[in-house]
Amino acid sequence: MAINEPTNATHWSEKLQSVPKPVIFGILLLFSTVPLFFPVQLPNKPIDASIDFYAQAMKIPDGGKIILCSDWTNSTRGESKGEMEALLRILMRKHIKFVLLSIGDVQAPQVAKDTIREVSDEEVAKGGTAYKEFEDFVNLGYYAAAEGTILAINNKVLSVAQGKKDFPVGAGPKDALLSPVFSGIKTVSDFNMFILVTASSTNRTILERITNCPMMYMVTGVMVPENTSYYASGQLKGLCGGVKGVFDLENLMEYGINNPGPHEIESEKYKGESIPGWPGKTNTGKGTAYYFALHFALALLVVAVAIGNLGMFVAKRRSK
Amino acid sequence: MNLLAQVDPKTFWNAPNSSAELYVKLSLALLFGIGLAIGLMFAPPQMRKMVIFTVTFVSGLFYVLFWLFPAPINRQPSDAPRGPIEGLSFWISDSQSVVASLTNVISGFLIGLGIYSLLRVHLGKIAKQQKDWFFSAVLVTCLCLMVFFGYADWKQRLDPQNFILADPKNWGFINYGRDLLFDGLLQNMDAGMFSIVAFYIMSAAYRAFRARSVEATILLVTALIVILSLMGVVELMWGGVMDGISKENDGLKALAES
Repeated sequence: MAINEPTNATHWSEKLQSVPKPVIFGILLLFSTVPLFFPVQLPNKPIDASIDFYAQAMKIPDGGKIILCSDWTNSTRGESKGEMEALLRILMRKHIKFVLLSIGDVQAPQVAKDTIREVSDEEVAKGGTAYKEFEDFVNLGYYAAAEGTILAINNKVLSVAQGKKDFPVGAGPKDALLSPVFSGIKTVSDFNMFILVTASSTNRTILERITNCPMMYMVTGVMVPENTSYYASGQLKGLCGGVKGVFDLENLMEYGINNPGPHEIESEKYKGESIPGWPGKTNTGKGTAYYFALHFALALLVVAVAIGNLGMFVAKRRSK
Repeated sequence: MNLLAQVDPKTFWNAPNSSAELYVKLSLALLFGIGLAIGLMFAPPQMRKMVIFTVTFVSGLFYVLFWLFPAPINRQPSDAPRGPIEGLSFWISDSQSVVASLTNVISGFLIGLGIYSLLRVHLGKIAKQQKDWFFSAVLVTCLCLMVFFGYADWKQRLDPQNFILADPKNWGFINYGRDLLFDGLLQNMDAGMFSIVAFYIMSAAYRAFRARSVEATILLVTALIVILSLMGVVELMWGGVMDGISKENDGLKALAES
């Protein structure tokens, strides 16, 4: 049973089990915020799942089209927003058009639109072109019936957009199917990729129903173990998980894959290929900002578990 | 192949857009639906059970058929079914997207049901001045504000003349209100609320994650391994150790073969 209140402990093992809550919270606050102000560049080797994600995204032809299902909200913005920003930078630099929709949360479409606007403004500030709603991406909004909608996307993708309206820049609402994003699209196979950014169980909804389009996922750290099996089996072409995944993507966007140099990122799978990055452009974001602090917070978690158990074992021995 | 309201040319089930015939048919359908709902309210419980059972079964049966019934292969738009079996196969395939749209509409009604339930409970608390009625008043006020500003902002943006609202410089009171409530308050409180979970997890890790049995120990060790795998530096070091062992094995293997 957990000890909830500090007791009048005498032996060090009892004191170890009864540290007051404010002290624990204060230590966590320090450990997770101080590294944000004093970041240290940590060594990193991108994992295969992240390398595959980046490589497959870079292999989408310039001007290609994807479906982007954004099912995250600000509750998981520490990981999901970093993933979305990294993905949008890749899409915008390659001028890849996308259909944006959500099946997980009613807030998700607006949160995604806000992020798209931020990244677009960032690209414009660095000399790129703005991403315009209706021209470069079309927002289909939120679908309450997730299973039926994803099944309809797999079987008759245009029916999902029927009746939906989007807002072109400088004009009133227009039928989403009239958008250049849907030009030349007849089935879901005409899209180059289906990418999901999620923090909830919509990963299973989509995996069970999309069979006619390659898929990649961007998930939170706690969802990585359950999705790794889908990546390992080949159902997912790439997987970006948590802050580590975002940091990997940011490294890959800076250095590319198999590009000779002091920070070369090698990949046996892509041996013989050289996939470029975008050195000099804005590639770092939340992954780089939070990576160092994440190590501190997780290390503190491990230490807290260890200390609690140590105190329990010693107290048990004493009582015997 | 289209269903009911999608069929063209028009049939009994539909009418031209914005026509008087369409509004008459919609009104009749609404009256019929209300009559059906009232009829069900006065129906005996056994009959109500049968209706619920039948509707649920038919709804589920559609998707069972969709998964199990042979689907058309390599179907072209001009293909016509060659028999009843193929006709059913074509119909199931064509109607799935219509059924998906129907379920989206029905799911929308659930929001209305949720709002009705919330208001019934919390307005009752306010009226009877029960314990913590103040928080109920806050909830109802926030609900009404969000509905008002959200809907008003949406209606303004639907007007083709109001495309200038894409630029915040052209916003009015309604647009600023929606932005404050949604992006300013709701989004940040959402993030703040889930950040608090980190403190609860830390407290739980310290006080409750104890290896009191063999099973608990296995679970704890597994969780620790997963936590360590999320730390990139640890993964890098572990990968280096594994690479080192692997190279050593390759060296020993080469030695054994030579």
